[in-house]
Amino acid sequence: MGEFRSRIAFSLLIATLVAVATISMVVDRRARLTGGSLLPGWSRYVLDAAVPLQKMVTLPFDGARDAWNRYLALVGVADQNEALRAQLAALREDNLQLREALVASGRLERISEMREDFEVPMRPAELVGVDVSPWFRSVLLDRGQTDGVLSGMPVISEDGLVGLVTATSGGAAKTMTVLDRQSAVDATVQRSRSRGIVRGRGSDGIVFEFVARGADVVSGDLVITSGLGGVYPKGLRIGRVTAVSDPGAKLVQTATLEPAVDFGRLEQVFVILRRGPTMELLYVAEDGDAAPARPGS
Amino acid sequence: MKRVFGLLGLGAVALTLQGAVATFIPPRFCPDLGFLLVVALGLCWRSPVGGVCVAAAIGFATDLLSGSLLGQHALLRLAAYATARLGSRHLNLRGPLPQAVFVAALTAANAVALALLTSFFSPGSGAGIVAVRELLPQALANAVFAPLVAFATERAVARLGDEDGGQRLLPLASRGRVA
Repeated sequence: MGEFRSRIAFSLLIATLVAVATISMVVDRRARLTGGSLLPGWSRYVLDAAVPLQKMVTLPFDGARDAWNRYLALVGVADQNEALRAQLAALREDNLQLREALVASGRLERISEMREDFEVPMRPAELVGVDVSPWFRSVLLDRGQTDGVLSGMPVISEDGLVGLVTATSGGAAKTMTVLDRQSAVDATVQRSRSRGIVRGRGSDGIVFEFVARGADVVSGDLVITSGLGGVYPKGLRIGRVTAVSDPGAKLVQTATLEPAVDFGRLEQVFVILRRGPTMELLYVAEDGDAAPARPGS
Repeated sequence: MKRVFGLLGLGAVALTLQGAVATFIPPRFCPDLGFLLVVALGLCWRSPVGGVCVAAAIGFATDLLSGSLLGQHALLRLAAYATARLGSRHLNLRGPLPQAVFVAALTAANAVALALLTSFFSPGSGAGIVAVRELLPQALANAVFAPLVAFATERAVARLGDEDGGQRLLPLASRGRVA
């Protein structure tokens, strides 16, 4: 009798856990679609606790990497330095010419007036851990709601687009990178203005999908955010075209991109404290979410 | 209870360590330590209630620290635990080689199930396609580390007070017994 009871209790436990997991998936999916992806209370504590733990564990790895970068990987630094000096000189020259051109056309003053619109508040954040599941490509940041970081805010680095904040707690933010298979970014080719979608392919990097007819995409083209999806600001670098597939009879053609951001060396990122219009609409009714930061706030 | 909390702590360490190591090693070559711990529990811990609870907790924690839906890994960790437990009863999984082969097969099944679940909830995301070049290195990495994690888990279970912890691999030894 005792064994029978134990078996019933065990079966009930399993059924309950399976039901909780299934319901959680449905609720989370629905929340992601409708914008309310604020984490439940208990999970916010877990996420907050994960940040210092991750930092502590990452510390020796960071030390080893720094040692490698500083002392062992110095081969070629002199050449690189020389090349960078040359590049800097060229850029200075370009900068001067552009300034002259702007002053000459009287646009500098107008740009100065418009500056407020262009200035977007950003919050620097440190990457403390990557996805613990090898099948997804998220990263964990050490800034959360207390720093004004909210779900739906874009994340960038000095090299280009990193991804989108998908969930936050008080002191942590989970960010889906553009490498994730669930990621899709409305993009355009800087040179030809051909539009398409950049999709994540996990370890295979990212691909640019575009309508084959009339599109002008060649190897070496820079692909940037179009701003039309209402999620990311316009003009952020996503990657450079490395190969264009043969369209054959297909309507949609794909191009392989080399991401602008080196995700293997990513340490410091910036969260843009302003959501795109689509994200604003999605997350506006998010329960408990503070109002998104505005420029100047 | 002490064992459950101890193993939960071990799970937290495994996930934290993986989150840190994966910043230096390409994710496809990084062993899935949370998954390996759950499988090892199925192989070496005789308490099914404790095993199921720890597996679910590790799954939910993985979901929190990952881009998956909340509950996705929890469900799969439960399935992995159940499969490992069944496997330990009906198959001879003593020794590193059988464990490695078993874990490699389970990794593939887990990846396919994960891809199907993701496709179901996010149609058109392209997540349904499990790239072979991602799956193979992952299965290999898990297979290599599986005997090590199984050994460590067996020792941890024994150290946390389960004197029979190391005997669980004997087929049929604990059939029908619920701790």
